[in-house]
Amino acid sequence: MSKQKHSMQPKPSHDESVRQDFVTDLRAYLTDEIYSLITPYYEKKIEPDFIQANERKPEDKSEVKSLMLNDRGYQSWSLLQRLSQQMMFTSVIDTVERNLDTMIDDLDNHQSIGSLDIDESLDIPRYLTAYDIHQQPGGYHNENIEKDISAGAVYDISLPIYSRNAMGEENDLLAQAIIRYIDDHLKTFQPQEIMDMGCGIGNSTLPFSKKYPDSKVIGVDVALPCLRYAHARANALGVEAHFSQQNVEKTSYDPESFDLVTSTLLLHETSHDAVPKIIQECFRLLKPGGWMIHLDVYPFHKKEDDPLYDFLKDWEVINNNENFSGALRNMNMRKIIEDAGFSSETVEFTSAEAAAKYSKGYTGDFYLKLPVYLAQKPNN
Amino acid sequence: MNEKTKLPRVAKGKKPKYLDDGSIDNLMAMIMTLTQEISVLRDRIDTLERMLEEKEIISTKEFDDFVPSDDLEMMRKDRRHELLERVLLPIKKELE
Repeated sequence: MSKQKHSMQPKPSHDESVRQDFVTDLRAYLTDEIYSLITPYYEKKIEPDFIQANERKPEDKSEVKSLMLNDRGYQSWSLLQRLSQQMMFTSVIDTVERNLDTMIDDLDNHQSIGSLDIDESLDIPRYLTAYDIHQQPGGYHNENIEKDISAGAVYDISLPIYSRNAMGEENDLLAQAIIRYIDDHLKTFQPQEIMDMGCGIGNSTLPFSKKYPDSKVIGVDVALPCLRYAHARANALGVEAHFSQQNVEKTSYDPESFDLVTSTLLLHETSHDAVPKIIQECFRLLKPGGWMIHLDVYPFHKKEDDPLYDFLKDWEVINNNENFSGALRNMNMRKIIEDAGFSSETVEFTSAEAAAKYSKGYTGDFYLKLPVYLAQKPNN
Repeated sequence: MNEKTKLPRVAKGKKPKYLDDGSIDNLMAMIMTLTQEISVLRDRIDTLERMLEEKEIISTKEFDDFVPSDDLEMMRKDRRHELLERVLLPIKKELE
């Protein structure tokens, strides 16, 4: 049964809580017991059948795709995986909906630290309105009621279910990975002004406030229900950060205002047009010598020689409304980053890592290793 | 209570079909939701039994002899309605 992690988080009832627990367990089962069967099943059944008919192996992911989408075994896992995501949100939305009025009333008690700037006239980019990312009903930006925070609250409770409780008490493992990277590789770097782009509920923003207590940390996002929740959540946790409703493709901050600009899992939720603009904006915002660090799920510019692996990596694209994540992998990020003005010798595509433990009945270690894309603005 | 905000429960986006014509997909969704609800019930009963045992309040025989009041019958009727609402959501989605 889940415990409240901070005073803004809505508390599930007994049944809501065990309903959410079921989804956590279902997802663990689907990964450990069913998804793990797919590669051996492919190698034992699907590939040999194909070789027998064609006298060669399937050569790319689209050939694998046409085989798999006609296979009952693969499609059954795929369906269950998609359903588990829907069940996660349905079971969490019950809790948020039931507590929504109380949470909104409680917002006023969670305003004293940091700040929240709202731009009601901001246009939400089409890549966020065309479909609901991750199948979160209503997306991150929609407002169902005045001063809505439901999208933020739904995200906050869903993430531990999604990650089998591996993201840490404050859902901050991704930012911890970036911080560890800075500690290991940019040892003397002590940022004073920090921006977290696409900050959502601020779970990857607050770790920077805590790590660099003398710095000013700003989280920017277009999604107001998430930002309201982020500000209240930061207050509930007693951590100072400033949140601002803006599009990170072009923000209102002065040039050369930041030492560090980060994002976690932002780029693959944007678009072909938006990515270069975001990188250019990072360049504009950074002071000379400042660093840009983006953490994302997919390695850029890497062609797999394993067509099955290549196909399976696209699962989220087809089945979980991650429409841009496949296309992002084909973009020439090095060129985009260098064209924005970053010093080519500092552009690096590497990994950020963080160790965690599963909790709540799950044992063992969880080791997070995700791609990071970083570059330094030249010193004058 | 009628004024209470209803949050959306269906995501906007493509709806791929997995097995046959999609009706099997709905059936699978219903079965998984039922499985979830069985799990919820088992956990709730487990909580109840543990608490009663801890407090030495109710014996198994008293459970077996229990007759619900009219009010309780109404509450149970509402609860079963909610259950059906949850289980039949895939079909509703199909018709929306």
